[in-house]
Amino acid sequence: MERVGVFVCHCGSNIGSVVDCAKVAEELRNYPNVVHSVDYKYMCSEPGQNLIKEAVKEHNLNRVVVCSCSPRMHENTFRACVAQAGLNPYMFEMANIREHCSWVHAGHNEEATAKAIDLAKMAVAKVCKNKELKKGHSPVTKRALVVGGGIAGIQAALDIANNGYQVDILERTPSIGGKMAQIDKTFPTIDCSACILTPRMVEASSHPNIKLITFAELEKVEGYVGNFDVTIRSKARSVDMSKCTGCGTCMTKCPGKADDEFNMNLQKRPAIYTPFPQAIPNKPVIDRESCLKFKSRKDGKDVCGICAKVCPAGAIDYEQEDEIFVEHYGAIVMATGYDQFDHSVYGEYGYGKYPDVISGLHFERLVNASGPTMGHIVRPSDHKEPKTVVMVKCVGSRDPEHGKSYCSRTCCMYSAKQATLIRDHCPDTKVYIFYMDVRTPGKGYDEFYNRTREEYGVEYIRGRVSKIYQDGEQLIVKGEDSLLGRPVEILADMVILADAMIPQNDAAKMAQIVGIGYDNDGWFTEAHAKLGPVETHTAGIFLAGACQGPKDIPDTVAQAGAAAVKVCGLLSKDQLETDPCTSEIDPALCAGCGHCVGVCPYKAISLETIEERKAGKTISRQVAKVNASLCQGCGACTVTCRSSAANLNHFTNAQILAEVDALCQTIL
Amino acid sequence: MLEMQQEMRKVAKELLESGEATVVIGWEKGALPYQTSPVLIRSAEETEKLVWDEYCQQNLSNYLIDFVYSDEKVAIFAKGCDTRAFNRLVQDKRIKAEQFTVIGVPCPGMKDRKQAAKGVADVPLAKACQECRYPNPVYANRTLGQPVTPRATAPDYSDVEAIEAMSADEKAKFWQEQYSKCIRCYACRNVCPACNCTNCIFDQSKSGWQSKDINASENQFYGITRAFHVAGRCIECGQCDMVCPSDVPIMLMNKKAKKDLDQLFGQYDAGLETESLIPLGRYDVNDPEEFM
Repeated sequence: MERVGVFVCHCGSNIGSVVDCAKVAEELRNYPNVVHSVDYKYMCSEPGQNLIKEAVKEHNLNRVVVCSCSPRMHENTFRACVAQAGLNPYMFEMANIREHCSWVHAGHNEEATAKAIDLAKMAVAKVCKNKELKKGHSPVTKRALVVGGGIAGIQAALDIANNGYQVDILERTPSIGGKMAQIDKTFPTIDCSACILTPRMVEASSHPNIKLITFAELEKVEGYVGNFDVTIRSKARSVDMSKCTGCGTCMTKCPGKADDEFNMNLQKRPAIYTPFPQAIPNKPVIDRESCLKFKSRKDGKDVCGICAKVCPAGAIDYEQEDEIFVEHYGAIVMATGYDQFDHSVYGEYGYGKYPDVISGLHFERLVNASGPTMGHIVRPSDHKEPKTVVMVKCVGSRDPEHGKSYCSRTCCMYSAKQATLIRDHCPDTKVYIFYMDVRTPGKGYDEFYNRTREEYGVEYIRGRVSKIYQDGEQLIVKGEDSLLGRPVEILADMVILADAMIPQNDAAKMAQIVGIGYDNDGWFTEAHAKLGPVETHTAGIFLAGACQGPKDIPDTVAQAGAAAVKVCGLLSKDQLETDPCTSEIDPALCAGCGHCVGVCPYKAISLETIEERKAGKTISRQVAKVNASLCQGCGACTVTCRSSAANLNHFTNAQILAEVDALCQTIL
Repeated sequence: MLEMQQEMRKVAKELLESGEATVVIGWEKGALPYQTSPVLIRSAEETEKLVWDEYCQQNLSNYLIDFVYSDEKVAIFAKGCDTRAFNRLVQDKRIKAEQFTVIGVPCPGMKDRKQAAKGVADVPLAKACQECRYPNPVYANRTLGQPVTPRATAPDYSDVEAIEAMSADEKAKFWQEQYSKCIRCYACRNVCPACNCTNCIFDQSKSGWQSKDINASENQFYGITRAFHVAGRCIECGQCDMVCPSDVPIMLMNKKAKKDLDQLFGQYDAGLETESLIPLGRYDVNDPEEFM
């Protein structure tokens, strides 16, 4: 006999100001199978939970319905409460009368109350069909994978490794280091980026618990929390890592030339190369696109081979091929970073065709002592020192029409930093910064900005730049000073555009491979904006750094540490509890068509052969079977199955039909 | 057609005499000229019963399900739509292709037996046959005669578009009228090559999906559910329209589903092959996620 208790929550005024909670409780009191129904200000509070526990005892309840917020918010709270009251935690249902009702129907109190009553009745109808379910257990592989070897990935890996767990860093370029390696100085302290990064890179590479997998791509992720099977493609380096000593002779003799990506194409690099002198591993790779030998092979010839001739270790291996292997991990940290917005979409900034209109990251390489100009700030066009520099902020940021609607968070500070660097290096050079707003929330940030203006004499002009065009050797920058309300025209030698931070161009593909969400811009989606900022909706996969959204280095490092803690918490367990809300297939109903196999995103369903008696003989036929530890309970199979053989525990066809019936009866 | 009929009888005879087949599935004359029916031939003498006329519309492939666990060697005559039905059954893993001998018969199009029953002088082709794009067998162990030219090159959705142009109220009224005629005999389901489940949900009376009541609401639920169940799997043979004793335009709903699916997931004609996954039976990471 079902004995249901209904508890209606006011959520302070969140629900109570729109929904008549007392009326909901009263209506439900007369609903079939309901033996107890009350309303209370905060059901999730301790007194609220005690109300449930006492009522279970007093009224001998065997099922509980709480009408409150989204199950995402408090389902676990109430399941635990119901379990403490001695019931199976799955003999509980939640009616969402906040997000689904009071918040969206404010001002329509009567209708909202009627809807809340319907939602409550549906929950009662469903809970009456609930079955006692038990959690399962699965083992944990005590090893983590960090995808991306920038500062986020390095920091996350170090923190995990220092907690005593094995961790691999997967990096797609030939070296770890990421964007931070390209940056010259860091705000607000102006310490050298490489000086603080390279010790961490060395620490990561020499850590006994860390393995670096560089020049490799993530191909496939299968499995589930605690038990991921990751397929990795190790790209052919054309250099035998076990023989190469990193002497660099090959690089000095290589006649091949390619754009130097690390230096933002401001110079050329050889075809056999390391991205930068402090690269880790400091062993080169051959870029087969620009290598003379590989290019000639396409035409059926086989020339050059100088690197192999000069290599004292005999490490060059032109026949190397991509290697594909599978590794097992318990947790994955995504730290794939960001990319820079391409300002060539802006006609007013010259579509990217003026050589002296450069991006912020270009400038980092120009001002860097190991960069193409040895740290001398010169114009890319004629290598003359610029006497007037104009900086433009929010290029691609806060511009939904041409770029992105969001603020890239770092540009205000890096523009200020770059302006002070220009004034330090070239005291005679004037610097103007066009801005919409100056945003400096961060420790020591506003002070830095003030120094930029007051001590370094950088001139800030509030307004947009309407046009930049070439006039002889110089650039004319036209804009508006919106504080003075008059047009401005500056004759500049160089213009630096503070390009927005955007996701990596293959972020969406990457998210699909690992099975996590991403937003409209392509940033990976965290589980909860406030309470789950490093978790994803896929258990066991965490986020670190700018792959989740624009971030500066301090925030990235902090988030990497947070992700590492979550990983360690997961890996510290010997086994994980598994959700019993998984799909099951009734072999008696299953026709074995296998369409559920194709539709399952988690590859949790396979066909197995069973034996049956039919027409007087034993026959064998195929039926579908669900692997409960792979099943995530999405329900795709249940809607694909025509004969309703597939049924999702806790969301069974019978439960959903009961809800629909409850709703339809109300309308009639 | 007579020539083809002679050829079919000859082939059936050979198959039975050689022991290559113990049963041949084809068509025989019915009580009335337009009532040509399926027949199972088990001996060489019986092959004279086989006919090939303008009323061989019945799709024979569904009979194969009955032979899956039998030791009989089955040969089957198959028009374009019968072979698409054959592929449908293979793709749904209800039969194994290699178990059966399929003798393909290019089809000139079959006449509308409902019109013939009314005594129409010049009986037109059945609607599905008028719109048929695959009259030649798409799978066969051997094919008789010469291929014919398809009667249509592109799907004709003019009937679907006429319904789409209606207002919501008009649509509701239209379907209400159509399905109030339905007597829930399930003939459309029984004859359908896509309705091949071992346990149809409409037979699971205790599950609560559908009551046994016959009224417009329950009938519409049946019709809509069946249309969803065959969506992306319907091979457009028009058997459902042919067998419906109440003249419910069942194919109209199937065509609407196909039109929508083609728009959402790209053109897909079911039963042309068995390798690709059906539009509603595959998870694709590139599927649009506009709702997220």
